[in-house]
Amino acid sequence: MPDNTKSLLKQLTKSSAEWINGSGPFCETVVSSRIRLARNVENIPFPQWAKEADLKNIYEIARQLIRENEFFKKFKMFLLDDLTPLESQFLVEKHLISLYHAREKYPYRVCLYNQEETISIMINEEDHLRIQYLLSGLQLKKIWELINQVDDEIGGVVDFAFSEKEGYLTSCPTNVGTGMRASVMLHLPALVKLNRSNDILKAIAKIGYVVRGFYGEGTEVMGNLFQISNQITLGLSEEEIIDNLEKISKQIIEQEEKARKDLLKDFKNNIEDQIWRAYGILSTARIISSAETMELLSKLRLGVELKIISHPDLGTINKLMLLIQPAYLQMLINKNLSPAERDIQRARLIREKIGNKNN
Amino acid sequence: MLCQVCKKKESTIIITQVVGGEKTELHLCKDCAALFGDKLSIVSFSQFNLDDLLSGLLKAFDLYGKEEGMVQSKDLKCSNCSLTYQDFIQTGKLGCSLCYRDFRRQLIPLLRRLHGNSEHIGKIPHQAKNKLDKINQIKKLRKELQEVVIKEDYERAARIRDEILKLEGVLKKNNAR
Repeated sequence: MPDNTKSLLKQLTKSSAEWINGSGPFCETVVSSRIRLARNVENIPFPQWAKEADLKNIYEIARQLIRENEFFKKFKMFLLDDLTPLESQFLVEKHLISLYHAREKYPYRVCLYNQEETISIMINEEDHLRIQYLLSGLQLKKIWELINQVDDEIGGVVDFAFSEKEGYLTSCPTNVGTGMRASVMLHLPALVKLNRSNDILKAIAKIGYVVRGFYGEGTEVMGNLFQISNQITLGLSEEEIIDNLEKISKQIIEQEEKARKDLLKDFKNNIEDQIWRAYGILSTARIISSAETMELLSKLRLGVELKIISHPDLGTINKLMLLIQPAYLQMLINKNLSPAERDIQRARLIREKIGNKNN
Repeated sequence: MLCQVCKKKESTIIITQVVGGEKTELHLCKDCAALFGDKLSIVSFSQFNLDDLLSGLLKAFDLYGKEEGMVQSKDLKCSNCSLTYQDFIQTGKLGCSLCYRDFRRQLIPLLRRLHGNSEHIGKIPHQAKNKLDKINQIKKLRKELQEVVIKEDYERAARIRDEILKLEGVLKKNNAR
């Protein structure tokens, strides 16, 4: 493995992305916003059907961007074939690449990302290029403005597969048109607790938006974190997609805030007790699974959001959500761990980060 | 009502999709509905997967075609990447950007079903925009040319003609690239 790759990975275990710092508008309910654009290069077969030479051509585009384009000069790059499965999984957990990108077998898959870890460009994923932009809180409009520029920069170097009628042409017809998937990650503990989340989420599905888990399509909801994104990519402009998603998000935020008030009104003691118990377990446990951690971190987050506790801050909680994931944990400790060993190391890490400051 | 896919059995399941305020319903019998996979019949949010919806639709469309004998899609092949339409039905993934042109007739009903629409109205990349601008400019110049010819202003007509030729040359060069 090239030395450069090793040192980049090491840096990534220490650094944290802007989107997890717990700031941004509506950060009491919205963890982060994300937009990704699917783009392909004209006439070259899509990655699943491409020959090795085609994939290499696309890879050369990434190298050219870094070498010659001012905008991408400071970007870092991984060739996924240089990584172990654990290291790829670590990049998935950091949200720099998708699960699909990590698991596909074809060569010349590349992850290109900026220092702030707000932009990542997946090369030879399901499409030739998947550009993603992540920011904390509800900031879809700002992200669109920014990712639009990134898209233009790349569009200045290659001719994208585009038709007047069908828009940006993608490997899967579910992405054609804008090629855009916009999403927001919402923390909805009160709606879940009061059994109101199902009705709301059902209503969202009816208007062309879908709900997914923490790591996107096909992943489970954990820690009361719901990712809501658009399903329709054709026949709506990017601005309309974003505007609708923002409106839907604001309505859900309103419902969640109302549910939190109801919870505090009717079950104040009970809620306070649960939040402090969660803090108690997290700051003292010796063995803990990632599922239990996510559940307890959700309670802790609610405690901070309701100002019942002041420590840790939202940024620390967000960061912990990533640090305690299996691959991240092993990268931090720099050795392979069995699930049982991971549960011990996880508990130790959490104690280090949040123990003994509230008392 | 008979099942809209097999047109043989009584429909027992209705799949409703509301896109952009427009409601479409698909009446299916139990067997054909099974093609859509378990995940659609029980709307499970976190596990809801677009690919499942797509593969269900593809199978249903394939059956539609066979039943009505109107789409001889089996032998269709993309002229650029050689992907067959059958490959697409099986995988849900197209081969290259030209598949959209070569399978256009088959894809349009699918795109309508998936997106409630089949025409792009969003961003246009610069490369395509430049091309469109040039085409529009040529159209405008041609109209102007007709007008000046009627007025017998031949000197101006010659200038416009040169300009049109120049723009057409640029377009041709770009297409060949």
